[in-house]
Amino acid sequence: MNLRSELGKRIVFFDGGMGTMLQAKGLGAGELPEIWNLTRPKAIADIHRAYLAAGADIIKTNTFGANRVKLGQSGYGVDEIVSSGVRLAKEAASAYGALVAMDIGPTGKLMKPLGDLGFEEAVSVFAQAARAGERAGADLILIETMSDSYECKAAVLAAKENTSLPVFATVILDEQGKLLTGGGIPSVVAMLEGLGVDALGLNCGAGPDQMKKYLPRLTECCSIPIVINPNAGLPHEIDGRNVYDVKEDEFAADMKEIAEGGAWIIGGCCGTTPEYTRAERKLCADIPPRPIRKKNRTVVSSGSRAVVFGDRPVLIGERINPTGKPALKRALRENDMDYLMREGIAQQQNGAQILDVNVGLPELDETAVLSRAVREIQSVVDLPLQIDTSSPSALEAAMRLYNGKPLVNSVNGKPESMKAVFPLVKKYGGTVIALTLDENGIPGTAEGRCAVAGKILKTAAEYGVEKKDIIVDPLAMTISAGQRNAAVTLGALRLVRERLGVRMSLGVSNISFGLPGREQINASFFTMAMQNGLSAAIVNPGSKAMMDAYYAFCALSGADGRCMDYISRYSAQSEEKKPAAGSRVSLGDAILKGLKESARLSAQALLKTEDPLHIIHSQMIPALDQAGKGFERGTLFLPQLLMSAEAAKAAFEVLRAEMSEKGESVKNGSVILATVKGDIHDIGKNIVKVLLENYNFDVIDLGRDVPPEKVVETAVSRKVRLVGLSALMTTTVVNMEETIRQLHQAVPGCKVMVGGAVLTPEYAEKIHADFYSKDAMGSVRYAQKLFGGSPD
Amino acid sequence: MKIREEEVLRYLGCGGRPADERLRRTVASCVEALRKACTPRSVARVFPAGFPAGGVRIGNLFFPGSGLRNHIRGCDKAVLFAATLGARADILLLQASKTDMSRAAVLQAAAAAMTESYCDEQDAKIAAEAAKEGLYLRPRYSPGYGDFSIAHQRDILTTLDCPRRIGLSMTESCMLVPTKSVTAVIGLTPEKSGCTISKCMECNSENCPFRKETEDESAQ
Repeated sequence: MNLRSELGKRIVFFDGGMGTMLQAKGLGAGELPEIWNLTRPKAIADIHRAYLAAGADIIKTNTFGANRVKLGQSGYGVDEIVSSGVRLAKEAASAYGALVAMDIGPTGKLMKPLGDLGFEEAVSVFAQAARAGERAGADLILIETMSDSYECKAAVLAAKENTSLPVFATVILDEQGKLLTGGGIPSVVAMLEGLGVDALGLNCGAGPDQMKKYLPRLTECCSIPIVINPNAGLPHEIDGRNVYDVKEDEFAADMKEIAEGGAWIIGGCCGTTPEYTRAERKLCADIPPRPIRKKNRTVVSSGSRAVVFGDRPVLIGERINPTGKPALKRALRENDMDYLMREGIAQQQNGAQILDVNVGLPELDETAVLSRAVREIQSVVDLPLQIDTSSPSALEAAMRLYNGKPLVNSVNGKPESMKAVFPLVKKYGGTVIALTLDENGIPGTAEGRCAVAGKILKTAAEYGVEKKDIIVDPLAMTISAGQRNAAVTLGALRLVRERLGVRMSLGVSNISFGLPGREQINASFFTMAMQNGLSAAIVNPGSKAMMDAYYAFCALSGADGRCMDYISRYSAQSEEKKPAAGSRVSLGDAILKGLKESARLSAQALLKTEDPLHIIHSQMIPALDQAGKGFERGTLFLPQLLMSAEAAKAAFEVLRAEMSEKGESVKNGSVILATVKGDIHDIGKNIVKVLLENYNFDVIDLGRDVPPEKVVETAVSRKVRLVGLSALMTTTVVNMEETIRQLHQAVPGCKVMVGGAVLTPEYAEKIHADFYSKDAMGSVRYAQKLFGGSPD
Repeated sequence: MKIREEEVLRYLGCGGRPADERLRRTVASCVEALRKACTPRSVARVFPAGFPAGGVRIGNLFFPGSGLRNHIRGCDKAVLFAATLGARADILLLQASKTDMSRAAVLQAAAAAMTESYCDEQDAKIAAEAAKEGLYLRPRYSPGYGDFSIAHQRDILTTLDCPRRIGLSMTESCMLVPTKSVTAVIGLTPEKSGCTISKCMECNSENCPFRKETEDESAQ
């Protein structure tokens, strides 16, 4: 068959399960099925022929796990398994004029940061399989059973970058209709359509009755052909074998509804056999495929959510942008990604729906820093990100490793900008903010800005970027520099909406630059802009005035159904737990009780009359010490000790700001902390970090899964005298031993303290650690002893 | 699923001492957050067990060593079992460790307690099934206990098709990911009086801060 000419003219049939057939022929649990391509080729060929005889148009090669991660130490290579698998399928298919899909399943590993498979490593694993499949003559690539959108993105990118074959991608959903990593249908569709797959859909996991229920959600947001390959029901075990209990007639009856409901390509997965294909074909072959309606949704996604730009304006948090923010600048220079992650989490809690990420500082390597920021932020915040940079190389690197379909900030009407940005949007998928300026500058009229927007849309289309993926920003310019500036912007909003019919966004707060009381102007302008059709705004979600304007507008405009959001925000506004002015707690008490805000306030108050160093010695150290002793005696528990530490940290921040102004140094000494190579469980290390920091040590946190060489290199370059290592697993303690060996060799004066679940004092001694810390306080005491800062 | 406050406190190293109101509230809020976020999943399959020299055979797998062998001696069947709280628990932990380490510590303990509690619940279901055939369960025995090498994690995950079935996988160093997960072997035996040693006290990690010391003392 010819896929391109027949797809959409009639229902196309995939074959059914391969594993099921192999088990029937004697494949054992846990055995690698792909090896049969070489050891039992006839069995594989027979299965293919049985499906073809039953009426399959496309057969899947027996290569689901044919990647170098899964084949691992099997003794077989990817190339030989794939080429034999494709050859067996082709030989069988040629007699029927059927097509061969190179089947690519997941690696079976979890992606970083939760697991240890890096994104580019995943791309390379899939690329090897995809190339082998094309070389051996496959007609298309089927990426299937993906339960993590990030791994799925890696596979699709690999297939598209390394072959010229059509790419289908299907995912596996749980009983709640979600991927195992949390994504749902809208976010998966946004990402896969953005990446330019030829068809997408669902396979495995559920039976056809359940997939029938998911189908409307798919057809609602999907504008490309849909593939549905269900299991024959849910598996259950009889006599040590998985059995599926939906019979072929029942299966086919459900598949008929699925075909009528809009799926163009149907088949089966686990538990289905040629009998199912035959029954399916009988009932569904004459159903005319339902035409696909273009949805024209303007949508971006993260790994687990989709945000659609519609009637209700979308809030884009602006706080991760160093312009005018000294603390963020410092964090970026010090490579303190935790700061950015906290900013992201706080903005989400304040109501942001998308986060802008801009890390542009002249002295930094923006490509590296932006990539790192995107990777770290997407690991803790599930909002879609707006990648904000003027550097095309930084943009490409960040878009590539982004988990989803990003918002891109920005393109403009200059030819070089469009030439750089549009190909990236086409390749990786994305929605892009288009600024209405070009080589002649910013037009001074609404007409002029609308014309630039029109030009950008036209050029985008030449690159294959659709109008729905452009959001026009008609530019807010400060009214302090031009009386008509707000009117021009609002006029442009109306014109762009009427003439071009695209979504629009603004960096709202620019409007008040140079004026006092900016929030009032910003909030009023925000309301006016929303009234004129604004669909998104870059704002500070921590600004009460802006958020008030937003919630009020949504309630008034009818975008907030039954005013539910407004009511839930304002009816139960929680009484802020600020310490009352009169009843101030002493700094020592605040630390002991773990009251962060009180600690900060009393440090500020004390600074008026006392010297910072004196405050540290007279109040903070005794309080911290009392907390530490309480923990050691067992009267204080770990969470309480940590609360005291966090309170002390808040006070230290106040004092440090004062001292660095005076040029004084306050730190006790530098300590490197790392979780050893192979170990990704780092909560123990993080607890030690918080405590050491609040006993005023300068902690150099190298993170988790740290190679010995990196620890040594840092210890040498930073002249560090104490290194703390943690390991959780018996399998990684060997790496701890190796790190200690290298450290003692390269930095003779440097001490190593160790801790972790599997360690004992005896074992610590055996691997030549200088100190075994039984708990977090133990490491503080050792550091104090070593650096002579102990109050004892 | 029941997640007992005392268990969470034990994982926090509080060892049976009373916690104050604020800590108890944090425990309750962490338990609540986990319940909301996580969908625990498990997979279990029964295989014939055999006892060739030097180890134990379960289905197609051979596990060398005496620990597991002694533990399920006399069982002619065994269940391979795997369970996980899923990726959401790890994400919650990651978030908390960036914003509030004190909460992260409690969350970690609550997730550990939830994992155990979920496994016990699944155990009970397996026990009910086994009872129909007149079989009783031995306590779960996991790779990493005694001389049951942690490397066998891989065999159990592959045999049960865990990545696909429940999203459970492992790192190069045999660490289960998502981290709040368990793999285990459960012996099935016709003898009712099985093993009575409490799970915690059977472990060789005598320095473990979570060891049930108070129970131990009261038992004496």
